[in-house]
Amino acid sequence: MKKVKMYTLSTCLWCKRTKKFFEDRKIPFEAVDYDKVEEQERERIMAEMREKGGGGSFPYVCIGSDVVQGYEPDAFERLLGCEKK
Amino acid sequence: MNIEARKKALRFLFAPIVDKLGYKFNPEEEDVDFLLEQEAGLEQQCGIPYCPCQARTKDRAENMKIVCPCIPFHRAHFDAMKRCWCGLFVHKDVVDPSKLKQLPPGGFYKKD
Repeated sequence: MKKVKMYTLSTCLWCKRTKKFFEDRKIPFEAVDYDKVEEQERERIMAEMREKGGGGSFPYVCIGSDVVQGYEPDAFERLLGCEKK
Repeated sequence: MNIEARKKALRFLFAPIVDKLGYKFNPEEEDVDFLLEQEAGLEQQCGIPYCPCQARTKDRAENMKIVCPCIPFHRAHFDAMKRCWCGLFVHKDVVDPSKLKQLPPGGFYKKD
């Protein structure tokens, strides 16, 4: 199983749906709410997102070495190799 | 500040602005209610109704580009996807917003 890590915002509708997508499939993931961490960590997260070509739009989901920005169930399923639910 | 009253006020303020831009409120009322509640909360916290799905940084000029409705600052992207990033607004011709994507196939969209 690929490792799943995501950066989210506590106020973001699509971040909530992204988390639910993984929870519903019982796929373990690590999530960090950008707006809930210290300034220094926020800067590190933003630098990481920008380095990979993304802007400051959430959710930002890393599945293995791939990155998906936005709520994209089809892309999540494809990268995880799981069936449509 | 009463959040419910502020949600109504934001709806009243935004409607004529986005109408002129060719957009309307998302027909998914539950989503609109949630997003307006987040914006009213951000306004209470920061003084400005920022987009709830985009990050603020220390760069004020950049932050101004995510003040709702942020359509003019991301026009090419949003027009292509027929929705704004958070989905509070969709193009006027959109009937079924569930089919709309946040990004084009292939991932990241070039920043405006």
